[in-house]
Amino acid sequence: MSLTANNIRVSYGKREALRGVSLTALPGEVTAIVGPNGSGKSTLLGAITASLPFHGRVGLNGRDIGTLKPWDLAAQRAVLPQASRLAFPFTVVEVVRLGLQSGTAGDRPEVPMQALARVGLAHYANRTFQELSGGEAQRVMLARVLAQVWAPVEHGEPRWLLLDEPVSSLDIGHQLQVMEILRDFARAGGGVVAVMHDLNLTALSADRVAVLAEGQRLAFGAPGEVLTDDILSRAYGCALRVSAPPPETIPYILPHAASAQKEPACV
Amino acid sequence: MKSSNKKNTPFKAIIMSMFSALIALPVSAQQSADLTNPHADVLSIGGSVTEIVAALDQQHRLKARDTTSSYPPDVINLPDVGYMRSLSPEGVLSVGPSLILAEEGAGPPEALEVIRAADVDFVEVPDALTPEGIMRKIEIIGDALGVPDKADALAAQVETALSTALDDAERPESDKKRVLFVLSTQGGRINASGTGTTADALIRMAGGVNAVTDYEGYKQITDEAVGLAAPDVILMMDRGGDHGAADDELFEIPAIKLTLAAQTRSVVRMDGLLMLGFGPRSAEAVRTLNEALYAPKT
Amino acid sequence: MTEIDAVPRDRLSHARTWHWILAGALALACIASLQVGATDVALSTMLAKLAKGEALSQMERVVLFDIRLPRLVMGVLVGAALAVSGAAMQGLFRNPLADPGIVGVGAGAGLGAILAIVLGALLPVWMIDLTGNQLVPFAAFLGGWGSTLLLYRVSTRHGRTSVATMLLAGIALGALAGALSGILVYIADDRQLRDLTFWGLGSLAGASWAKVLSAGPLILLSISAALMLGRGLNGLALGEATAAHIGIDVQRMKSIAILAVAGATGAAVAVSGGIGFIGIVVPHLLRLASGPDHRTLLLNSALLGAILLILADVIARVVIAPAELPIGIVTAVLGAPVFLWILLKRRGLVEL
Repeated sequence: MSLTANNIRVSYGKREALRGVSLTALPGEVTAIVGPNGSGKSTLLGAITASLPFHGRVGLNGRDIGTLKPWDLAAQRAVLPQASRLAFPFTVVEVVRLGLQSGTAGDRPEVPMQALARVGLAHYANRTFQELSGGEAQRVMLARVLAQVWAPVEHGEPRWLLLDEPVSSLDIGHQLQVMEILRDFARAGGGVVAVMHDLNLTALSADRVAVLAEGQRLAFGAPGEVLTDDILSRAYGCALRVSAPPPETIPYILPHAASAQKEPACV
Repeated sequence: MKSSNKKNTPFKAIIMSMFSALIALPVSAQQSADLTNPHADVLSIGGSVTEIVAALDQQHRLKARDTTSSYPPDVINLPDVGYMRSLSPEGVLSVGPSLILAEEGAGPPEALEVIRAADVDFVEVPDALTPEGIMRKIEIIGDALGVPDKADALAAQVETALSTALDDAERPESDKKRVLFVLSTQGGRINASGTGTTADALIRMAGGVNAVTDYEGYKQITDEAVGLAAPDVILMMDRGGDHGAADDELFEIPAIKLTLAAQTRSVVRMDGLLMLGFGPRSAEAVRTLNEALYAPKT
Repeated sequence: MTEIDAVPRDRLSHARTWHWILAGALALACIASLQVGATDVALSTMLAKLAKGEALSQMERVVLFDIRLPRLVMGVLVGAALAVSGAAMQGLFRNPLADPGIVGVGAGAGLGAILAIVLGALLPVWMIDLTGNQLVPFAAFLGGWGSTLLLYRVSTRHGRTSVATMLLAGIALGALAGALSGILVYIADDRQLRDLTFWGLGSLAGASWAKVLSAGPLILLSISAALMLGRGLNGLALGEATAAHIGIDVQRMKSIAILAVAGATGAAVAVSGGIGFIGIVVPHLLRLASGPDHRTLLLNSALLGAILLILADVIARVVIAPAELPIGIVTAVLGAPVFLWILLKRRGLVEL
């Protein structure tokens, strides 16, 4: 019962975006994918969610996703895209119900409101989606995704949340709130794979981190092992300094430290 | 309201037509045609058909007309069943005709099928581009209306008038003027008649030469082709309004400006139905055009 | 945690009550359509006659059974087909301004009709005999259906249909069809030109049982297929990728939508000519009234499309009786101001 990506290769025309990346995410954990722009983070998520053609194999709870029908996949994992545009004036609660229709909680009409409450937007239920700010829209979409796999474990199998930069348009308070939701989902037995931009938030919330650079996996492991000066500097092409505040051992990356270096800060 | 009157006419007409079809067959129309002829209620479709009906003194039997029927002027007061190519079956039946006289090409076919199913007699009158064709039209319409004698008389009269007009119009080939029939000059684009049209036929009958013989039908003609056609006179339909201004505009069109017709400001405007109807007034049309072409301008 | 105090508005069941309201309105519109016409034949007097056991006159029978009834049935079918196709296309292209014309139906059908009108006489005699009066509708259907399938093919690669390619290829195909039509217009004589003009304005005047029987089954089949697309089109509102993520077989849905629209619109345009406006206005009105949920929008569109078209037809055939207006003129003259008024009144919603 896990999510495995095996030797994934993706090409856009002649450019190879992913050159054989492997990854295993376990239920009960938040797995983050980080890396500089263009390193292939979103492409990797695209392959895992079967949104784009790729070479390699992706297994979800022991089954090859290539053999599953869209509705079988939808019952096992929900996907939050980076940005969502909605074509027609659906209300917020209707948008969340769209997720419900195909997920595992289809016969539970109370789920959409609970999911909205979870992201703190229950009072927006009757607004039209297009009235929302970017951050609110992102949280509504998260609620939709949550409604789709409302129970983190079902029939003894974990459900998966696959998210592409879930906090990109949120303020710091909501960033923390959303990461907390993801952690709760994992703690309850579900699996979470998220492409992350913010290294500190990653360090704070992820159980495992995959660092990508130039279409390859540079490192994979617990934040403390992976988020090191060496690895991050190589990944981002930039002399980065990782610190750990006492008493905890969660590493943090201070961009200010980058400019304290004698050598040219970034290449 | 006329509705109470309208209500039983179709019914009456049908009964009458069935009834009198039985007796009227052997009866010659000579005997007071208007009483015995079954078709008291006639719908006439096509401008020339309506003209012929009127020329046969049967205008009182007309119940309705189509949009193209505009002569004699008082037929305008009759109900209009629309354009002859897009008739509405219920509209046609609503005027309660027992006989429909229609120029060739009336339709659509589905409408005609339904109309026939309602037991209305339908007579199609073929198109004509020749004097013989006009005679044939008169004969068919006269038969359908049960007035063959009147039709014979009219045909003879039209034939005489037409042959006189044609003889008068005849002139040596070298003397004939080149005539360009312009259907429209919308946006400075000239739509002119080629061969095979009623306009072409009339020009020739009136002793002129159609300046455009390179194509059939009405088509937009290039500016240079107008120059090559070298018309002496331009012939158009009379649409009313200020002719002086219209003439100025016409002769300002670059393609026309260089022609002899423009230099002599020779334009003839005629009533469209008179010109192109090919009915009883064709002799008049030939004579009018001929005079317009060759009479000295005042 | 935030408490759940808001009660979610239930637009879905609201929209479902609209099914019944519209069905009732459709029944009334049908009665009106049978009652009124250029002749004095009226449904009510005939029913009274039948109740008293009197026989109907031949005039009454012809007007009711051979003119008004096939015309009504065709109006219902065509109106429903146009409106459902509009709703499906708007859902598929995620654009409230899309209409079946986008997938080339109009351009192709127009070209087919023009070919038949202008060059029909050149066909071998056996073919003319075979198609009879139905040559123009037949050619229009082949043109509309064929061009849609062509567009569908060129925009489908590796089993994926690109909606954007289809849109662009549709514009190119429309231009090409327009040019070919132009050549034919040039060849046409002025009678044929008038036929073309009238064809383009649309009319139900040519309705006959033969047409109903030939176009009806295809229209009904296509509409039923389209009605099943509700959930898929809802998902598609989130974009193709997300629609797939929530479990929709996007490619299959696209195929069904395009084939259904080609079938319904192709057949409708073939029997009635070009009738504009229904496909855009009807779904839009319904979205304003009861929300964008396609599970109810499609059926409501079918009902409202049928209602509006038969009412427009009633107007078309009584307003200048005994002549009649092309129905496209009526739908545009009545529909455009109403549409504009709604747009201005609900400006906020339209910008969404």
